[in-house]
Amino acid sequence: MKRRGRGVACCWYGIARTAAVDRAGAWVELDDGGTVKVTTGVTEIGEGILTTLCQIAAEEMGVRPKDVTLGDNDTARAPEAAHAGATRQTYIIGNAVASACRDARDKFIKEMAQHWNVPGELIDTRAGEVWVRGRDLRMSMAEAVDVLKKQHGIVIVGSGSYTSLHTPLDPETGRGEPWQSYVFGTQIIEVEVDTDTGEVQVLGVWAAHDVGRAVNPQGVEGQIEGAVVMALGQALMEDFTLKDGRTTTPGFAKYILPTSLDVPQVNSIIIEDRDPKTPLGVKGIGEPAMVPTAPAIINAIYDAVGVRITRLPATPERVLEALRAKRANEADIAL
Amino acid sequence: MPDIEIRLTVNGRKFARRCAPHLRLLDFVREELHLTGNKEGCGAGECGTCSMFVNGVLHKSCLLPVAKAQDAEIVTVEGLAREDELTILQRAFHKAGASQCGYCIPGMVMAATATLRRNPHADLEEIKEGLGGNICRCTGYQKIFAAVELARDVMNGALPATALEEETYRGSYIGASVRRLDAPSKVSGALRYAADMTMPNMLHMQVLRSPMPHARIAALDVSEAATMAGVETVLTCNDVPGVDNYGVFIDDQPVMARGVVRYVGEGIAAVVAENPLIARAALAKIKVRFEELPAVFDAEEAMQPGAPQLHDAYPGNVCKHTKIRKGDVERGFAESDLIVEETYETQAIEHAYLEPEAGLAYLDADGTVTVQAPDQNITHHRHMLARILNRPINTVRLIMSPVGGGFGGKEDMLYQGMLALAAIKTRRPVRYVFTREESFIASAKRHPFRIRYRMGLRKDGRILATSMYMIADGGAYAMSGPGVMNKAAILGAGPYAIPNVRMDAICVYTNNTPAGAMRSFGAFQSEFSTEAHLDLCAEKLGMDPIELRRVNAMRDGAITHTQAQLGSVSLLRTIEAAAQAARWAPGEPHRQTRGEQRPDLGGNDTRKPCTLGARLARITTPANTVGSASERKAVQT
Repeated sequence: MKRRGRGVACCWYGIARTAAVDRAGAWVELDDGGTVKVTTGVTEIGEGILTTLCQIAAEEMGVRPKDVTLGDNDTARAPEAAHAGATRQTYIIGNAVASACRDARDKFIKEMAQHWNVPGELIDTRAGEVWVRGRDLRMSMAEAVDVLKKQHGIVIVGSGSYTSLHTPLDPETGRGEPWQSYVFGTQIIEVEVDTDTGEVQVLGVWAAHDVGRAVNPQGVEGQIEGAVVMALGQALMEDFTLKDGRTTTPGFAKYILPTSLDVPQVNSIIIEDRDPKTPLGVKGIGEPAMVPTAPAIINAIYDAVGVRITRLPATPERVLEALRAKRANEADIAL
Repeated sequence: MPDIEIRLTVNGRKFARRCAPHLRLLDFVREELHLTGNKEGCGAGECGTCSMFVNGVLHKSCLLPVAKAQDAEIVTVEGLAREDELTILQRAFHKAGASQCGYCIPGMVMAATATLRRNPHADLEEIKEGLGGNICRCTGYQKIFAAVELARDVMNGALPATALEEETYRGSYIGASVRRLDAPSKVSGALRYAADMTMPNMLHMQVLRSPMPHARIAALDVSEAATMAGVETVLTCNDVPGVDNYGVFIDDQPVMARGVVRYVGEGIAAVVAENPLIARAALAKIKVRFEELPAVFDAEEAMQPGAPQLHDAYPGNVCKHTKIRKGDVERGFAESDLIVEETYETQAIEHAYLEPEAGLAYLDADGTVTVQAPDQNITHHRHMLARILNRPINTVRLIMSPVGGGFGGKEDMLYQGMLALAAIKTRRPVRYVFTREESFIASAKRHPFRIRYRMGLRKDGRILATSMYMIADGGAYAMSGPGVMNKAAILGAGPYAIPNVRMDAICVYTNNTPAGAMRSFGAFQSEFSTEAHLDLCAEKLGMDPIELRRVNAMRDGAITHTQAQLGSVSLLRTIEAAAQAARWAPGEPHRQTRGEQRPDLGGNDTRKPCTLGARLARITTPANTVGSASERKAVQT
């Protein structure tokens, strides 16, 4: 028999390194052709941070994302930006890049104000153009770079770094402020349980996550969808097992991963509770999105068939075993 | 065995080559023809990233001896796009955001191409089946499905070609779904990961790994291996010039085993040779005499008096104990109407990034040693390497190669020390590529947890006290374990206002595969138990599980379990948003079996369950295939 049920779970997560100094630096140059060169030791591991940083730099400098060239992750060439982890890159490195861009842009505005002999407050930049509000003075960023370099001998460069506040934890009570920013989320999950085979299929996920400010909504969805499916794997099938220290699951034939046929429809809801403590208001999503999925699945299994799985993964064997125990228990009660 | 003569056509060009007979089609294409677009992910036909067309049929090229492809027409991912113009499908992948790390993507693009060639009107179910032999660890497949459906609709004229173009953005670039800038290089196979990189005079490294979970190395003789033809050098711990002891929080790990092995898969010696075949043959010539030591495989047993000890500096095998004490939990329990206890267990899992570990090390002209590898933390890896190599830090250079998935698994340093030593000693570039099996046995996993949970609540659902006693199996080395304990303890009780909290997160050394950093880092395990436990409590209280969370949710200005004050708290907003989107019908858990009427199940925003044999039934009535495609579209609009 097939039965459906739903479960809910919430999560919270701290952004950036835990109760420890976290920091990143970035350099920016306004380059020929009105392009922007950003250098920072960022680690793109697939989440899309390079695109995110290009969007941030484009917005801050007044160019287009495709005008931004990113030099990354070479300890001999780029300033330190540390690791891809702790849901920190958009937050720490994004704000470092923004602050470096603001430094460069301030210098650029000051020089253009001198060149045009207008107050800097009247100058705007956007999508590759620089102009003076209320005056017929404008040029492309490419021309502006040319003018500054060839007429005034000025190369516009900026730098910036970002750190987040924390206090260490007291070793006995744990008292302390491990992070300055937190995110929250809730997932509801619908499953179908086959009471004959014990197999659980996850059919639908509604995932609402606060990310602070979504720099790239498609990228945020991608993080939520990937996290949900990775957690589905841990909830239902993945198990790295050892016997006397030797693995019995040494490859993908024995270690079962979710495939295209296992995955639910994921409905993401992005909540933006901007972080007032940082220049950009961004927080993060990579890790928190994975937290509520497994318990929501386990709770949905209970809703569907009335068995509580307390030991992951909820394999068909374990679900069947729990169903058998439940039936035996109910028979006892009936007697 | 003598070389064989291979003639075949690849991407429209004829090739005739003499090559070693053991080569697989994948090796031939990647190593002989330098077409590295298709990747090796598992070498066992399980992951699909090596998928190529052989005479028009999709094949996993890691399973095909090249001799079997004699005279065949091969198309690799490089052969799909003509003259730098991406195919409709590749452009759809770009538009839909279907690539993340990109390592599975060449195979995905090939499998999706095959699916739409087979049936240009394939519906979502058929697309899913077509991709069923390809694993993606990053995307959750959703955007890949969307990309294939988009390509199908453009090819069929259901959508205009402009649907593939980037949207024009008005207003801020922040908040716009700008297409990923690196996607074209990933869908075309142009992006080179570490295993795709070559350098002139490059050598290859292989590592001898421990077959024993705990043993003293009584004798290690590499002399025969070192003198084999084609072997350049063999490295052991004696080659480490600096401090051979590193880690993230605790320095407890040698570059290669130093006198003792503590887990199966630990590196003992590294052979550097002209090719991987010679290097592997030389591994067999290394003689090790082990004296077996008593081993311990269970974290709680490892804490008992008399248990085998792994590290002298940590008697009792406890490498980290994070405590949180807030309020008075015993009083909280005494004042509770209901006390609920349960034990939860979470398992070790493998990160299973599609790209196995790999790296390339060489000396720059000025003598700087450079390691290029998919490192999630070049900053810290450089700090550690400078100490290990005993060099000024500015003569050690780390360059991150494109990372084919990490999830924390490429954060804890593992093999970069051996690579750097090999480049310094041989003065030649050295490459090391893990097999999937090697990645499984050698790399860190997610910490398995055992959690004893006790929660006290009032009848109205208010939580008065939470106590969580968590024991984590850290395996043979600490790696990121102490940080994982911190996060488990700080976040474990969940985003709820609880006056009395007692948390213990204890990381224990055992002779199991080490555990390390993995996405959600201790919060996955601890919050799992809290959220499962709340469901149990809701049932006992006869409450709706969302209502129980609302009652306890932290609100703006809440005090956390570490007694920090929060600013804005968005938890209730996420609860309401999820409940509304899912049309949550309130009720206590276990409704289905009570036969309650459920208006909430089976909506358009869920997928259909898989039913065995369903497609066979459909194939016999082809009209249905078209029907379900339009049905699917109706659901989407």
